[in-house]
Amino acid sequence: MDIRFEQAGLRYGPQIALQPLTLTLSERRIGIIGLNGSGKSSFARMINGLAKPTTGRVIVGGLDTIADAKAVLGKVGFIFQSPQNQIILPVVRDDIAFGLKNRGLAKPAVEAAVEAVLERLGARHLADRRAHELSGGELQLAALCAVLVTGPDILILDEPTNQLDLRNRGRVETMIGDLPEKVIVISHDLALIDNFDRVLVFDQGRLVADGAPGDSIARYREIAR
Amino acid sequence: MQSLYVDADSWMHRASPRLKLGSLAVLGVALFATTDLRILAVTLLAGGVLYLNVGMTWREALRRLQPVLLTIAFVTLFSLLFNPWHEAAVTVFRLVTLTLFAATLTATTTIAAFVDEITWAATPLERIGLVKAADIGLTVGLVVRFVPEIVGRYAAIREAHEARGLKIRLRTVLVPLVILTLRDADNIAAAIDARGIRRH
Amino acid sequence: MSTRDLVLSALFAAIIVALGLLPPISLGVIPVPITAQSLGVMMAGVVLGGKRGALAALIVVLLVAIGLPVLSGGRGGLAVFAAPTAGFLIGWIFAALVTGYMSELLVKPEQSSISQGIGFFIASVAGGVVVLYAFGIAYLALAAHIDLSKAFFGSLAFVPGDVVKAVVAALVGRAVMAGYPLLPQRG
Repeated sequence: MDIRFEQAGLRYGPQIALQPLTLTLSERRIGIIGLNGSGKSSFARMINGLAKPTTGRVIVGGLDTIADAKAVLGKVGFIFQSPQNQIILPVVRDDIAFGLKNRGLAKPAVEAAVEAVLERLGARHLADRRAHELSGGELQLAALCAVLVTGPDILILDEPTNQLDLRNRGRVETMIGDLPEKVIVISHDLALIDNFDRVLVFDQGRLVADGAPGDSIARYREIAR
Repeated sequence: MQSLYVDADSWMHRASPRLKLGSLAVLGVALFATTDLRILAVTLLAGGVLYLNVGMTWREALRRLQPVLLTIAFVTLFSLLFNPWHEAAVTVFRLVTLTLFAATLTATTTIAAFVDEITWAATPLERIGLVKAADIGLTVGLVVRFVPEIVGRYAAIREAHEARGLKIRLRTVLVPLVILTLRDADNIAAAIDARGIRRH
Repeated sequence: MSTRDLVLSALFAAIIVALGLLPPISLGVIPVPITAQSLGVMMAGVVLGGKRGALAALIVVLLVAIGLPVLSGGRGGLAVFAAPTAGFLIGWIFAALVTGYMSELLVKPEQSSISQGIGFFIASVAGGVVVLYAFGIAYLALAAHIDLSKAFFGSLAFVPGDVVKAVVAALVGRAVMAGYPLLPQRG
């Protein structure tokens, strides 16, 4: 499943969030780094269509993020920074199931899919818990279940460990390592992405480095100085 | 938050929610159509029997109705100042009967069943483009999900006030409570949209 | 309706519910603590505007109807609608609607603090007192079989408390407009 940016750029009125960009992403593990306001978040949100390109287009697995928006959402899962704002129903199990309900699946099929994803991510113990009782790490794990239950091919994580303590950070790192889906991670936490296949560096709306983690991280450190 | 549903098994629990709601509506109209105290007394008794057999202890059952019954009592006393006793009695019988049947319905119908009924009832509105029926379940879930967070936030704001030696005033507590809570809306909405939950 | 609007309304409904769960707070002006839930309804209007404010109130009424004990004191369920004071609950929806729309019309970010405060206060009284009591009194007269005028005078005692709440709502509306403006602009 390839992601193609074809002269795709994003601007909000007079402000340019991302300069028009052309590239193809096909690696299994891709990291995105950059200072705040560098355009990395805009870039990531253009992949699942949360942000639509104001110039050019973004093609994900042959689908256009503007014309085939709904289908693209089915292919790309997105995990956000803040753990507690992603679980939106009181009980974890109901939240995970909710994403499937609107797809016209029969109840037994929904329940089976929920059990499957809980098993796969080792999250059985969270299923019947109430969201507001859970720690940040547990919420991120629940959010992963909720997003993966619909079977996306690509998973984007926007600073997934930002609000987590050390132990939970380690857990999320391990989870990411085990996922068979194609994973794209935005992270300030450089250790999370230093063994990835490809790392992109953004600065002031431009892509300034693109390649092996070692080189990209070095370039990022230069910018950050 | 505990719902007011009483987890038990009676014929009332097993009756269809739609039938129960319809009956309650018909009953409401019927109660206001008659002024015969004998009929009203019978319905009152029927309501009482039903309500007290829903699966709660009598104490719990009465405790639940206390606020409403008190209000009815208060208003009836007030109306006694201006109306003949017969009228006041009719009013009391009507309102208490309605209260008993309504409380019985609430105790024997789950939240999920109610949400399903409302969602079904809203489908004609969906056709005019007024609501998306599926949003109703989402909305109820959202509120129940975030009430504890807001209560926790209030506690944190109170704590911060106490730590700074500030008196706890509504105004200085409510403003941060409202702003901090509503600031999350964008993130929550983004997470909902990213999961394609409202793309029907 | 945009997801953002839906979430804003739901979150404010949650605020109104949370206010019912909290112990009464002191206003500072009066020594008597008051319950803040009806204040929450006025706030919904001044902060979110007419449409979303009314929706927030509607959501709360819905939660009561389906059997959640969200009203202050743990009240809830269909029995609440059988009480003669049910008009004051249903009236919340229209109170928030009027308070909200009037706020959108009367209050602008460019105005002075005082003007904003006055605008929000007028909107809060119009919705949270006038409209709310209209519904409350009408239903009270109907359900309890009392004369409209008797119902009116009987309810007057509660008005001062609600006028004070309107003042608080206005102050909150002004502060939120300064800190995190959400009020749509109209007129």
